[in-house]
Amino acid sequence: MPPLMGIEFLCRVADVLSEYLGGLNEDVIKDNFVIVYELLDEMIDNGFPLTTEPNILREMIAPPNIVSKVLSVVTGNSSNVSDTLPGATGSCVPWRAADPKYANNEVYVDLVEEMDAVINRDGVLVKCEIYGEVQVNSHLSGLPDLTLSFANPSILDDVRFHPCVRFRPWESHQLLSFVPPDGEFKLMSYRVKKLKSTPIYVKPQLTSDAGKCRVNVLVGIKNDPGKTIDSITLQFQLPPCILSADLTSNHGTVNILSNKICSWSIGRIPKDKAPSLTGTLVLETELERLHVFPTFRVGFRIMGVALSGLQIDKLDLKTVPNRLYKGFRALTRAGEFEVRS
Amino acid sequence: MFPQFGATAESLSKASTMVFRIGTDAHLYDDPDDVSIAPLLDSKFDSEKCEALKRLLALIAQGFDVSNFFPQVVKNVASQSLEVKKLVYLYLLHYAEKRPNEALLSINCFQKDLGDPNPLVRAWALRTMAGIRLHVIAPLVLVAVGKCARDPSVYVRKCAANALPKLHDLRQEEHTSSIEEIVGILLNDHSPAVVGAAAAAFASVCPYNLSLIGRNYRKLCEILPDVEEWGQIVLIGILLRYVIARHGLVKESIMCSLQCTDSSHSEKNSSDVDFGLVKESRDMSGTCDSEFVNMVSRCYIEGPDEYLSRSSYANRVSFELNGAQFTSGKSNDDVKILLCCTSPLLWSNNSAVVLAAASVHWVMAPKEDVKRIIKPLLFILRSSNASKYVVLCNIQVFAKAMPSLFAPYYEDFFIYSSESYQIKALKLEILSSITIDSSISSIFKEFQDYIRDPDRRFAADTVAAIGQCVQRLPKMTHICVDGLLALIRKEFLTNDFGSGDQEAGVLVQAIMSIKSIIKQDPPSHEKVIIQLVRSLDSIKVPAARAMIIWMVGEYSSLGVIIPRMLTTVLKYLAWCFTSESLETKLQILNTASKVLLGATGEDLWTFKKVFSYLVELAECDLNYDVRDRAHFLKKLQSCNLVSRGPEEGTNGLPEKDLHVVAEYIFGRQRRDVKAESINYRFYLPGSLSQIVLHAAPGYEPLPKPCSLLPDDLNVPEGTCSIKKGAADYGGTDGYGTSSGSSDDEEESASAYGSQRSITGSSGGSRGDDSEFTSEGNDNVDPLIQISDIGNASENENGVSQSSTNLVELMSNRALESWLDEQPGSSNPGISEQSKVRKSSARISIGDVGRRVKPKSYSLLDPANGNGLKVDYSFSSEISSISHLLVCIEVFFKNCSSETVTEITLVDEESNRALDSADQASVVDESSLLSYDNVPTLVPMEEIASLEPGQTTSRILQVRFHHHLLPLKLALFCDGKKLPVKLRPDIGYFVKPLPMDVEVFMDKESHLRGMFEYTRSCTFTDHIEELNKESGDSLLIKDKFLAICESLALKMLSNANLCLVSVDMPVATNLDDASGLRLRFSCEILSSLIPCLITITVEGKCSDPLNLSIKVNCEQTVFGLNLLNRIVNFLVECVLF
Repeated sequence: MPPLMGIEFLCRVADVLSEYLGGLNEDVIKDNFVIVYELLDEMIDNGFPLTTEPNILREMIAPPNIVSKVLSVVTGNSSNVSDTLPGATGSCVPWRAADPKYANNEVYVDLVEEMDAVINRDGVLVKCEIYGEVQVNSHLSGLPDLTLSFANPSILDDVRFHPCVRFRPWESHQLLSFVPPDGEFKLMSYRVKKLKSTPIYVKPQLTSDAGKCRVNVLVGIKNDPGKTIDSITLQFQLPPCILSADLTSNHGTVNILSNKICSWSIGRIPKDKAPSLTGTLVLETELERLHVFPTFRVGFRIMGVALSGLQIDKLDLKTVPNRLYKGFRALTRAGEFEVRS
Repeated sequence: MFPQFGATAESLSKASTMVFRIGTDAHLYDDPDDVSIAPLLDSKFDSEKCEALKRLLALIAQGFDVSNFFPQVVKNVASQSLEVKKLVYLYLLHYAEKRPNEALLSINCFQKDLGDPNPLVRAWALRTMAGIRLHVIAPLVLVAVGKCARDPSVYVRKCAANALPKLHDLRQEEHTSSIEEIVGILLNDHSPAVVGAAAAAFASVCPYNLSLIGRNYRKLCEILPDVEEWGQIVLIGILLRYVIARHGLVKESIMCSLQCTDSSHSEKNSSDVDFGLVKESRDMSGTCDSEFVNMVSRCYIEGPDEYLSRSSYANRVSFELNGAQFTSGKSNDDVKILLCCTSPLLWSNNSAVVLAAASVHWVMAPKEDVKRIIKPLLFILRSSNASKYVVLCNIQVFAKAMPSLFAPYYEDFFIYSSESYQIKALKLEILSSITIDSSISSIFKEFQDYIRDPDRRFAADTVAAIGQCVQRLPKMTHICVDGLLALIRKEFLTNDFGSGDQEAGVLVQAIMSIKSIIKQDPPSHEKVIIQLVRSLDSIKVPAARAMIIWMVGEYSSLGVIIPRMLTTVLKYLAWCFTSESLETKLQILNTASKVLLGATGEDLWTFKKVFSYLVELAECDLNYDVRDRAHFLKKLQSCNLVSRGPEEGTNGLPEKDLHVVAEYIFGRQRRDVKAESINYRFYLPGSLSQIVLHAAPGYEPLPKPCSLLPDDLNVPEGTCSIKKGAADYGGTDGYGTSSGSSDDEEESASAYGSQRSITGSSGGSRGDDSEFTSEGNDNVDPLIQISDIGNASENENGVSQSSTNLVELMSNRALESWLDEQPGSSNPGISEQSKVRKSSARISIGDVGRRVKPKSYSLLDPANGNGLKVDYSFSSEISSISHLLVCIEVFFKNCSSETVTEITLVDEESNRALDSADQASVVDESSLLSYDNVPTLVPMEEIASLEPGQTTSRILQVRFHHHLLPLKLALFCDGKKLPVKLRPDIGYFVKPLPMDVEVFMDKESHLRGMFEYTRSCTFTDHIEELNKESGDSLLIKDKFLAICESLALKMLSNANLCLVSVDMPVATNLDDASGLRLRFSCEILSSLIPCLITITVEGKCSDPLNLSIKVNCEQTVFGLNLLNRIVNFLVECVLF
């Protein structure tokens, strides 16, 4: 078995388990050991993946939910194993449960983007790219056939698709044509490279002499994306040669963890001032000057904006059911956003 | 501060977690056995059964063995509730192998379930039934799988496909063809889900039967995008193999780039606008990588081990595929369709699928199309650290073979500080191999940042990478060298203050990089050398100093300035010599003598003085390496130092020679060392072997191009072509590896053979020995014999005896020689013997030796082994190779009517280990001596063929890792592998240790207390003997002697012991055997610790005797096990 296949499968198992159990840790697994056993038995057979499609699994083995829990307490009887084979196992769209019925037909499309950026010691943006996902949450009756098109597909550098996406229409017209799975799923992931700017700036300054190092980090909004930027955090690992650190900020809280990781949570940037972190680091006794420099890792979140500039043009259904609701959202957050000092 | 508040908070949080746990099975996990499970299992309510099963599952999860519930659980297979069924199946699969007999009880239910209208029930029944893995039910499973392969439900058919590898794992040869037939049926299925599973089955059941693929090739290609992702991964690999085997390599692909001239390169250049800028450098890289690519492609097809082992380099290059083995991607439809169907998979969500599809394109696609795999590969880089590493390992090979592919995407390999060190190192390596003129400046900017990274190991790697970049792109030399020099100046500032080895590592790496840069063009870097020399005073790291000093010596005559400053430098070095570390001292001596050799004119005198001073210092150094070097150099330079004067004419010639030698050693003609040997190992992209860089178990290189002939496809049944396929791949596949090493096995085995014949003949020359003794001794290695004789004669207090006698004495058949001995021949050490001799004076029981028959065990039943019967018995001889080895005589008998060929026994684990470690080299005997290297099984001489009815035997030398657990071996015959188990007998883990009774008593007295173990048992063998004796009353034996004879016989035929003495009771009552005592001695093979056994008899001669057996041994566990074994065989009644 190729190693990547093994890794990918393990990731899939982890995804399924955390979806079932609402998290993945030792306690949760212990508490639901029967379901874990049943799931694993269904997911792998003799060392080869058997059923990994979450929709089918969910039909075969019911996930624990409040109703079933209460029911099991009341009646003392709980069976989470389905009696019948999910119809989807046989169909040519194995990701879709057979014939769900909804009173309200809804489909939500979310663009979730992560920004990877590297800013080097000179403050130059070396690399800035967006890794995005199109997440769809669909509750549609019957066997819907959807078509999603982008206003500007040419900015996409590369794409990866959920198995439900048909390759031909994408190759010829860059249209996403698909029969969606029921519920939430990741329709596609994409990459947009060579972006020119970041929404915030981080300017670290470290000057050291005589065994002390002055730290001064400034954070501010650079190109206003039009929406509020929140959950701004800054993290960096203090170099091993530092004995002690005394850091304060004019906004937000600063914590130095035991493993020498310093984290500064800013939250939102206030209107009146630019948040800054200042302080001194005491170097090892014989060290005059700092010769290794930490890298600052930045986190942030912007609701309502896809920074890549990707825009969804329209979403069409072949057979429009009555009462259809379509929703679009966007979100950008920091991925590997690093500022070197 | 508020303890009560804290407590509330805690209980609150506890309560909240309790809420979450309500309705889960948590309580079952916490106390699985707080109620008794058995009655619940027998309950008539499904919910109670369910609860009981969940409790059992919890116990299994916690590591308890609950197999004792097996019968009760199996009963519940018949339950109608699916949940109960599922839980029972989980339990069953866990314990079926342990309780095979009870597991059989469930078979009827499975059979019934297979006919159930619910497809889920059918599928589960099939999965569990196949998963039980019992040989007995294999035929039933085969029938069931055959039935399910035609099931209307897709899911059931898929499970049928998944069941095939399970069946195949049982290795029952008679089913192979029917399994393959089912694979064929399932591959032809119209449902993509089934095809995917069938592909997986194909890959594990019959990967060589490519004709199965050939029949459906088109269909499989077309269905590929719809197959589920896991099946896709396997199917892509199979299709690639098929196309290579059927059509050979594609002419336009990079795999064949050596044949195509650079014309295609320039074509590509002009067609590609992006690359226009880098045309020049790419042409350079294009030419240098063709050799590399050629190597890669050869490795893919032959497997690197075979390829690299081919003797001469020229041979490698000249060996080429002939033109017929190529096909054209443009005209061949099969190639075209495969590429066409795999290209959309490059967009797959599953990174393993992307990599598999990319590897098809890498091998098959025309050169100009290969670049389409790059973006997907770079895209899957953004994932977990583990998969990132795997992808980078593969990209590294691609990038080295075709740097131009990745050159424009250098930014993707920039390093994030959050990545692990391994990933950083890989990225650096890729970056330095894809730099081109247009990207070098930004890459260098990055490198400068990396050097200041807190991870100093990574910083050192970065410095090394800079050196490599410069070697690729000489244009950048000056900028880089300046940067590196600045770094050195900066580093040494901080360096003094002991910021550890890592800082030193950066410095050393920087100087190393400069050194390799200078090597390329020394004259233009004169100033650099001078700068380095100037910084000598401040650089304190020994390795760095040594390197700079080396450069002084090496380039001492370069340019104008260096020779002028040499005197100063040398004086400085001489001045600080005493305070230097070892490597620097050695380097100073070398440099001084190099300088001396090249010196002329007025400097010579100074150099001589400095040199003599240095040598004098060094001769008094504490380190002998330095002293030796000083003596050596003094001798070598003696002509330079002294003989310039005319008076020294006596031994002028050797001095001249010395001068030549010195010139040669320190001379400045630098031999062209190949920059880097390109003996890398390449494995197929995406494979595990490519990550670990050795052939992982199960790795298969691509099949030989065009090895699959078109006629094969028309053969209706697969069987004929399987043979062919297997033969084709014989050289490289799994079997092949073992056959490769079998040469060595044969060699070493034949060495034993010759040894045997030598000793055998010497045994024969002794002539007067009985047939038995010559047989017994002829396999003993002469070496051991001699040393043991030495020991023996020491034990005998130096009494000189003929060697024949000694050999007999030391052999485990000592009883015979001893009983046979004439009263006249003296054996003064053993006083007890005379007693026996008195009472047994006239009775000869010399045939005991011949009657000592080691027990024979069955290794392979003719029913399982196609008529080959293999038995084995432990032999009393001692291995000549290592004392850890136990000798076993193995008897092969062909009970079938056909000739069996190529029989050999191999150790399963070591075979695998050898396979994976690529160390199939000759196992030389010297290496066997050390403990760790002793193999589990000394390779056996292969039996080329065995005619029907013929019997042959081989001596096997085995190292058991445990004295109770069986050893798994693999028996190969007719090219098939049969797993067999060799059960150890602790009685043969010892060898006889001859000693006389005083020594015995003495040793025994030291091994009291916890080293002494006793057990008693009854013994009945002698009764029969006595009855027999009384029957033919002509010769009435002494009863005591009869008992003692049968006891000794029993002991000696079950263990490798030496009889030390027999104590006779003072005969008050002729029928009372109480007081009879036998003493045996031996030593443990592995540790050579002596082990003493004493058997004391109680009871009447004609009745069953009570024996008390006492073992004295330092090794407690061994002693106890040996004692148990002795008791066991003494009790068991064996008819002779």
